Amino acid sequence: MAREEIQSEVTGTVWKIEMKVGDAISDGDTIMILESMKMEIPVISTEDGKLVEILVKEEQPVSEGQAVAVVETA
Amino acid sequence: MGYEDLYREYEARREKALAMGGKARLDRRRNAGILNARERLDYLLDKGSFLESGLFATSARPGDRDDTPGDGKLCGYGRIGGREAVVIANDFTVKGASSAATNMKKIAQMQRTATERGLPMVFLGESSGARIPDNMGGLGMGNLLANSPTQYRRLRESPWASAVLGMCYGSSTWYTCMSDFAVMRKGAVMAVSSERLVSMAIGEKIDGESLGGWKMHADVTGLIDQFVDTDEEAIDAVKAFLSYMPGHCNEAPPLHPAPKGSDEAVRRIAGLVPESRTKVYDMRKVVQAVADKDSYFELKPRFGRTAVTALSRVGGRSVGFIANNPLFKAGAMDAQACDKIVSFMVLCDSFNIPLVFFVDNPGFVIGIEAEKQRAPGKIINFMNALQLVTVPKLTVMIRKNYGQAYINMGGGKNADDVCAWVSAEVSFMDPAFAVNVVHGREGQRLEVDDPALFKAAYEKIQQENSVWDLAACYAVQQVIKPEETRDWLQRMLQVHERRLTGGIGRHLLSNWPTSY
Repeated sequence: MAREEIQSEVTGTVWKIEMKVGDAISDGDTIMILESMKMEIPVISTEDGKLVEILVKEEQPVSEGQAVAVVETA
Repeated sequence: MGYEDLYREYEARREKALAMGGKARLDRRRNAGILNARERLDYLLDKGSFLESGLFATSARPGDRDDTPGDGKLCGYGRIGGREAVVIANDFTVKGASSAATNMKKIAQMQRTATERGLPMVFLGESSGARIPDNMGGLGMGNLLANSPTQYRRLRESPWASAVLGMCYGSSTWYTCMSDFAVMRKGAVMAVSSERLVSMAIGEKIDGESLGGWKMHADVTGLIDQFVDTDEEAIDAVKAFLSYMPGHCNEAPPLHPAPKGSDEAVRRIAGLVPESRTKVYDMRKVVQAVADKDSYFELKPRFGRTAVTALSRVGGRSVGFIANNPLFKAGAMDAQACDKIVSFMVLCDSFNIPLVFFVDNPGFVIGIEAEKQRAPGKIINFMNALQLVTVPKLTVMIRKNYGQAYINMGGGKNADDVCAWVSAEVSFMDPAFAVNVVHGREGQRLEVDDPALFKAAYEKIQQENSVWDLAACYAVQQVIKPEETRDWLQRMLQVHERRLTGGIGRHLLSNWPTSY
C-alpha cells in the first residue's frame, strides 16, 4: 500500500472532474479533464488502486507537475 | 584407466557443474518463485537445442575452483523460434554472478561469435558487479579489466536483447544498456552499484526500488523498454522482440503471415478519432486497428508518452510505428519523446524495419521547462537521425500537424510517400495563435478583445489549413479515408521494398550510441 500522487502534465484549467474520492481506479483511467492549449486534456491515472484525494476544484488553474489527486495503490 | 573411468569422471564433474551454487541457494529461489539460470535458459530455448559453452569452466583463483561451477555465468548457443542464437544467463547462486577472469573470457567469446557470425544475442541478467577480491588493486584491474578495445562497441551487426531478472549491478547493467531491447521483471533492480555500496558512499540509507526499480526506469530514465511481473513473461517478451527482428543486419526481418481477421478493426477506425479538434484520443488504439491482429509490441510505454513507438506487423511484414499520442499533452512532443523516437529509429534502421509515422500533434512542447531539457538540440538530433534513416519511411497525417513537428514527423521529403486523412490540417502554428500573431498586439487576446475579428480571421486560416492545399501542391501524394489506411500501408510497403539491395538498408545509424 502506497500513496502515489497523480500530477498534471500540462498547465491549464480544471474543466470537469470525472471521478470521486473512494472510487476504484486503474492505470489509464481519466480522473479529470483540463482545458489547455485549447484542447480537452485528460489527467490519467498511472496507478491501480483507490482514488483517495482530489486536490483541485473545477475551474481552478493548475500548473505542469502539480499534484491534482492521490491514489492509494493496492 | 579405460574409457569407463573417464566417463565416470566426466559424469561426476558434469553433475557438479549442473548443481550450480548448491541445493540450499536453489531452493531459496524456487520458494520465492524465481527461476534459476538453467530454468531460464530452458524456458527461452527450443527444447533440446542448448549447446553449452564452458560447462566445466571455473574461477581462475585456485582457492575458488571447487565452488564456482561455470564461474557464475552460463553461456552457449541455442535456438529461439527455430533460429540459432547466442545466450548468456547469469547464475546468481555462484558468487552472485560477479565478473571475474574466466567468465569474462566466456562473455567475450559469446560476443565475438554473435557479432562475427550474425547471431542474435540474449542476456538474462542478474549480477552483483566485479568480483572482489579478484578485481582489486593494480594487478586485479590491470589483468582483468579494460583489455578489450571492442567490448563496448555496438555496430548493431545483430540484435541484442536483455532481461533484468534480479539485482543488476556492474556487467548485467552495462549489457542491458548496450542492448537493442530490455525488459525488466518488477521487483528487480538495475543500477550502477548496489544500494549497500551507495548507502556507504553517501552515508544515507537508500532502498533498491528508489535507486533502480521498475518505476524509475519506466517513468524517469527510459533505459528499459518493457516491464512484466514474472521471469517467464520477461523471457516471452525477449522472444516476441526477436520475432520482429532479422537474425542479423544483412537480412530482412522474417515474414509472419497476418492472422485471419486482421482487416476487420480498421473498418471502425474513424470511431477512434474524434472529429472535433479539441478532443483527445488514444493513438495506441489507432495503431492497433491498422496493424496485423495481435501484433503490437510497444517500447517505453510510460516514458515520453506524448509519442508511441511500437514494433508491429502490417500484412506480415515487420514495421516500426512512430506516432503522436494526443491523449498526453495533446500529443506535443517533449525531450523524452524525442529521445525515445531517436532510439527507435536507430533500432529499425539497423535491422531493416520500415518506419511508419502517424501524425497528430499541435507542435513541440514549448516553454522554459522544455528549453531546460534542451528542446532545440533534441529536435535537431531527431532530424539528424531521421535524415540518416535508409529504411522505407511512410507517413500518415491523421489530424493536426504543425510547425517544425510537421518536418520531424516525416513531412514532405522526410518520408518516401505521404498520405493524409481527409481530416488532416497542416500549418506553421495553431490557427488560434496565428490569428493573434497576425492581427493582435502583444498582451492582447483577440478571442476576448475582438471576438468578431477573431472569428472571421480564424475561419479563414482554418480553411487554408485543410488537406486540399497540401494535396494541390503535391506535398501529400494521396488523400485517403481513415478506413483505407491499412490497404494504403500494405501497398506502399510493397512499392517501397528495397529491391535493389534485397530489403537491406545502409545502416547509417548503426553506430549511434546505445541507451541514448
